[in-house]
Amino acid sequence: MNADFRKIDVHSHVAWMSNGVMREWSVADVVEAADKLGIEKLLCSTPITSGPCTMELIRKCNDVTYKAMKEYPDKILGYAFVNPGYFDEAVKEVERCVNELGMIGVKLYNQYRADEPVLLPLIRKTAEMQIPVLWHAGHPPSPMEALKWGQPRISDGMHIAILAKRVPDAILINGHIGGGGDWEWSIKALRNVPNAYVDTSGSVVDEGMIEMCVRYLGAERVLFGTDLSMEAGVGKILGADLTNEQRELIFWKNIEDILRRGRI
Amino acid sequence: MIIDASAYIGHWPFRKLHYNTAKGLISLMDQNGIDKAIVSSINAVFYKNCQEGNEELAEEIEPYRDRLIPFATLNPKYIAWREDLERCVNDLEMKGLRLYPLYHRYSLLDPESRELLQEAAGRKLPVQIPVMLVDPRQHHWMDVDTQIPLNYILEAADKNPENAFIILNSKTADPILGRCKSGKSPKNIFIEVSRLTAVLNKSIQAVISCLGVEKVVFGTGIPFHYAKPALIKMEILDISEEEKEKIYWKNISKLIDF
Repeated sequence: MNADFRKIDVHSHVAWMSNGVMREWSVADVVEAADKLGIEKLLCSTPITSGPCTMELIRKCNDVTYKAMKEYPDKILGYAFVNPGYFDEAVKEVERCVNELGMIGVKLYNQYRADEPVLLPLIRKTAEMQIPVLWHAGHPPSPMEALKWGQPRISDGMHIAILAKRVPDAILINGHIGGGGDWEWSIKALRNVPNAYVDTSGSVVDEGMIEMCVRYLGAERVLFGTDLSMEAGVGKILGADLTNEQRELIFWKNIEDILRRGRI
Repeated sequence: MIIDASAYIGHWPFRKLHYNTAKGLISLMDQNGIDKAIVSSINAVFYKNCQEGNEELAEEIEPYRDRLIPFATLNPKYIAWREDLERCVNDLEMKGLRLYPLYHRYSLLDPESRELLQEAAGRKLPVQIPVMLVDPRQHHWMDVDTQIPLNYILEAADKNPENAFIILNSKTADPILGRCKSGKSPKNIFIEVSRLTAVLNKSIQAVISCLGVEKVVFGTGIPFHYAKPALIKMEILDISEEEKEKIYWKNISKLIDF
């Protein structure tokens, strides 16, 4: 079932929560699960998902990711998590993580929305470096529900499309299209934005979701991910009505192509 | 043999479904190696008079009776549910109930629900409760925006010990596990695996430890969901083949009078 396709998971996490509290499982458990599912590499980050998002905490999070990279060098690749509101310091942290720690991209959470001007210096830098930016993204049913989620500044496909058009050389990934928001909204929003991708991660396994991604964006702009919903992540790509060539693109070829672009 | 305890037929008003006819469902089952499936009518969730949906379902699945096992959707707050139950069981040969207290705006603890549950127990009909049909985080403006808390089903199960409750489409088993830890393991609760996990927090294995493998049943949620995620969970689940057989079909077979 799994052995037929190489798989690179573009949306994963190491086992620490952002506040330093351990999840119920370890990095070793994530790696073991990946092995069971035939996932060759995990692209991981450690974002701060609530509360203060200071540079000190951000560096600690990135060091946690780096520790896991060192522990599993053949399995785990890292994204640098930053808060764009720190402008130069955020850019410097990206440079530290990429140039010194060997990370391959940037992870952004919901501290700012993708269409806010504060993002531009950071995103221009990632475009210059040709490294991908993975967004924690989702479209809530209403602004009130975004508040209920505690995420008034969560980005959806529309916000990411605006940013992608402003910085056409940037490589932007709309994270977890199956993460619980309105995936049809975000897929439609990203249709005419060639430098924006979606990752398929999240616990939602709605039949037709992956096919719609491919129909609207082309298989070349769809990236396999799990966000730790690991069987769901693999199962939805295997279960979708796709050709094996499309599955290869989604499972690993597209992200490998993106990672080759890095001017690091 | 694989029996899917969680499948549906009918129109979902908030998103286009594919494979949502009997013929479509059978083709999806064939693609995924699923031999039989328990089905109910999605239409019946939205018709005020659920029975019309049950009638449609029975007609739709008639050519596939050897593979599709119909469950009745009933609303204990709506007029003449007893007659509808009679018709569903005696004439349409439905083998269990699928209830939607959130959509039909009643409580499983209401007196009318108790009467329906007593009727179901008397006829040995298992009662399925889907805790959600779609993830509430992506709900349509006119759809329900929450899911049924497991504690609520556990309370109904406590108060109706003669009924077999089958929980469908739950992403968590924590309230059940909590009961077990406090030594009050529910005896009449079964849970379907499609949204649980075989890796990381290993909620399927936890439920097996808590309730026993006999209380776990296989399901997918087709055609709302892809079938493969549930199948992969079973494939990588670190239990014996004999135990897998129980989950795949033996446990649900015992609950249904084929």
